[in-house]
Amino acid sequence: MPNRGPAVPDEEAASVTLPTRWTVFLRTFLPWQAWRFLRINLKMLGMVRRHH
Amino acid sequence: MSRVVVLGSGIAGHTAASFARRWLPRTETVTVVSPVDRYNWVPSNIWVGVGLMQPHQVTFPLAPVYERHGIEFVHGFARQIHPEGDAGDSRPFVAVERVAGGDGDFLRLPYDFLINATGPRLRFDMTEGLGPEANSMSVCTPEHAQLAARALDRAVERMRRGQRQRFVVGVGHGGCTCEGAAFEYIVNLEFELRARKVRELAEIVWITNEYELGDFGMAGMQMRRSGYLIPASIFTASLFAERGISWITRAHVRKVEPDRLSYETLDGGEAELGFDFAMLLPPFSGVGLRAFDRQGTEITDRLFQPNGFMRVDGDYTPRPFEEWSARDWPRTYQSPAYPNLFAAGIAFAPPHPISRPHTSPRGTVITPAAPRTGMPSAQIGRAVARSVVDMLRGAPRPTATASMAEMGAACVASAGANPFSGTAASMTVYPVVPDYERYPGYGRDMKRTFGEIGLAGHWIKILLHHMFIYKAKLRPGWPLIPE
Ligand SMILES: Cc1cc2nc3c(=O)[nH]c(=O)nc-3n(C[C@H](O)[C@H](O)[C@H](O)COP(=O)(O)OP(=O)(O)OC[C@H]3O[C@@H](n4cnc5c(N)ncnc54)[C@H](O)[C@@H]3O)c2cc1C
Repeated sequence: MPNRGPAVPDEEAASVTLPTRWTVFLRTFLPWQAWRFLRINLKMLGMVRRHH
Repeated sequence: MSRVVVLGSGIAGHTAASFARRWLPRTETVTVVSPVDRYNWVPSNIWVGVGLMQPHQVTFPLAPVYERHGIEFVHGFARQIHPEGDAGDSRPFVAVERVAGGDGDFLRLPYDFLINATGPRLRFDMTEGLGPEANSMSVCTPEHAQLAARALDRAVERMRRGQRQRFVVGVGHGGCTCEGAAFEYIVNLEFELRARKVRELAEIVWITNEYELGDFGMAGMQMRRSGYLIPASIFTASLFAERGISWITRAHVRKVEPDRLSYETLDGGEAELGFDFAMLLPPFSGVGLRAFDRQGTEITDRLFQPNGFMRVDGDYTPRPFEEWSARDWPRTYQSPAYPNLFAAGIAFAPPHPISRPHTSPRGTVITPAAPRTGMPSAQIGRAVARSVVDMLRGAPRPTATASMAEMGAACVASAGANPFSGTAASMTVYPVVPDYERYPGYGRDMKRTFGEIGLAGHWIKILLHHMFIYKAKLRPGWPLIPE
């Protein structure tokens, strides 16, 4: 394919908020994620209960 | 003996039929009409589209489930609703075109209560060259998703031979909804290209009709983080930038050719973008049901909005954005024209979009339509079934409500499927439709609106896949699993 068209990344991309290395590490750090798994499930269940 | 007829066996229709069956004695009939005889857990089509699942893992045959639970199944397309019957018989009925019989094999299916849950018609025809039969891919059905996975394999092959490839993912029209599904696809695609070790040869571009990233057709959301309320646009931009995905917002795709697409933007600009692989979701409309009165006069426009979605108890008075209110949104999903007629899921007509509307200088509306995602669709299906069952027992009006302005939604957007290195964005919003009177400022309850990215979200996504397929199979304990 010929790469026609604009080179897409715009100025916005340069000013984006990026996560710290610690945040990225926590995203797949098993003990922390096991805890988040419980917390998020509880939050979601609470949301569903609220409607029922 | 009375009969409840449900049109459609998707998330809304299947939920409505299952609960109606559970709550009604076996002397009453529950009938499902659907042109598709397999249930599809649509959210997992994303994984079919990147080749991680096969269609049989996201679908199962409905007939055995319905047989076991005493639900009658008619394999066909509902075409016409006759809410007053006809000259010969005043009992309301649906005219169903059976799949097996081919053109013209019509069945007259009488009903006491009718639930229209026919979902969307995929309007690839609204953009020239859009769709799997033309020049772009889709993941709306398992078959489409499988075609997308094969096209992805071919692109990966080309990369393995050293060719650079551009992947364009997003929505194929200014009036699309379902940006969330396209978002899930693009981040999964990026993850998959990394897993297949060809990422460095890929350029990945997001194209959307959203005014800002993270709008998702629900006017975005704000989340509490470090003492600030941060808009979803910041998180979405961050997620894209981290993954090297670039983006084009405020775009209406006008035409898709085999190797390029042309689009218009809100500021009046026009541009072309070349691609090797494009997955662009289509706009939706209603499925085109028609309605007739007793004399055979067409009354489709009394029951349906011009876009084919069914009018229910919402307030459809056209008003400027500043005057929209949470109260415009339907609560019972009963047709104002006939009290024994309801709509559920995507089939009901929203009163207006949720996001602020925008029009380009050429007059093209470039605004996401209101999404009706899985959780609200199922909750509406259940509420409608409750009302129908109670009305059959003598209640004078619907007894259950499920307004999108009074319910929250939990959404888990997969961003890479691997049990150890995958991630997903988990989000909850309450309510789905912002209510600026109850929650001044942002329209949402900030304690119940949150989002985060992590492996836990991926585990939840897997759990939901198995749990919801188990529930849809109506296995023991299914009613305990929340919608
Ligand atoms: C790729 C993708 C991913 C998604 N991911 C998520 C997600 O992660 N979370 C989420 O909450 N939502 C998600 N959604 C949205 C979700 O799938 C929909 O909200 C949901 O499927 C809507 O349910 P429904 O029953 O209204 O429509 P559908 O599921 O589309 O069901 C409509 C049914 O009607 C039938 N039908 C059509 N025409 C007729 C006719 N003439 N007569 C009788 N029957 C007819 C169809 O065959 C089908 O059975 C996703 C959507 C897509 C496309």
